[in-house]
Amino acid sequence: MADRSPHDPLAGIAFDRVPPAGAYGVTGEPGIVVSTAEEPFIALVAARNGFGASVAERLGRAFGGPGLDRPHAGFGSGSTVVGIGPGRFLVLSRAEADLPGTLRAVLGTEAAITGQSDAFVLFDLSGARVPDLLAKGAPVDLDPRVFPVGDAATTLVAHIGATLWRSGETGWRVLVARSFEASFTRFLLGAGAEYGLRLEGRG
Amino acid sequence: MRIPCPYCGARDAHEFAYLGDATLTRPDPAAADAADRFHDYVYLRDNPAGRHQEWWYHANGCRQWLRLTRDTRTHAIEAAEPARRDATQADMPGAAS
Ligand SMILES: [Zn+2]
Repeated sequence: MADRSPHDPLAGIAFDRVPPAGAYGVTGEPGIVVSTAEEPFIALVAARNGFGASVAERLGRAFGGPGLDRPHAGFGSGSTVVGIGPGRFLVLSRAEADLPGTLRAVLGTEAAITGQSDAFVLFDLSGARVPDLLAKGAPVDLDPRVFPVGDAATTLVAHIGATLWRSGETGWRVLVARSFEASFTRFLLGAGAEYGLRLEGRG
Repeated sequence: MRIPCPYCGARDAHEFAYLGDATLTRPDPAAADAADRFHDYVYLRDNPAGRHQEWWYHANGCRQWLRLTRDTRTHAIEAAEPARRDATQADMPGAAS
């Protein structure tokens, strides 16, 4: 793992390459740890007209969470349901390789389902300073007092479209279009350098 | 300016795209005077100082169209309603009765 200058954490890293794993910014115990998370199977669910509440409830029962048609993230064992718009949800799964097939069995004709596993990269951010880091890029109030665990927001982070949610007391997840992986990682390293940031390797 | 999106909550105006007057009705293209009516509809827009109903699209959010009632002098927003809703969204905050 390379140790990088705290003053210029991106020095020498090609702008169009995902930066390598390592410690960035101030030295010592990192304030923020970043990895790409392990729910690689993703599908978009769009409820047909009149079925938003029913689809939300079915998704909650099958994949976890309160089953509400809200900007909220519900957590199951190895799965997450995130509301991204009225009647629209992203479902993420750790192990369900045929996620669209499973969703079709759960939802029948109440929703349109499209596989999106290749469309996004999921970042896992942990550490007490994550809200401070994200505040540098997101025009949303992410203070833990007003953004409790399970809250979600589809917004911009550093001008990049993102869906983010708070997954735990100091855990956050950000879903970004895959082609923005390098740009978004650069934002994380630059914005997180003052807290010390460890970027974990990918498998 | 922050816009109270019924789904997302209060969001910065930069997340939205503005369309304009939400009170106009698209003319009938089959009408005899359609060319004149479309000229009015597309180009001749009022620029009121005060209460205005207008379309905003939450492009970098929930991707829904909103109908805002806004005072163009103060940017005070009186109402923000989803342009489209289905029966299951009737109790959404900001929903019109
Ligand atoms: Zn919205």
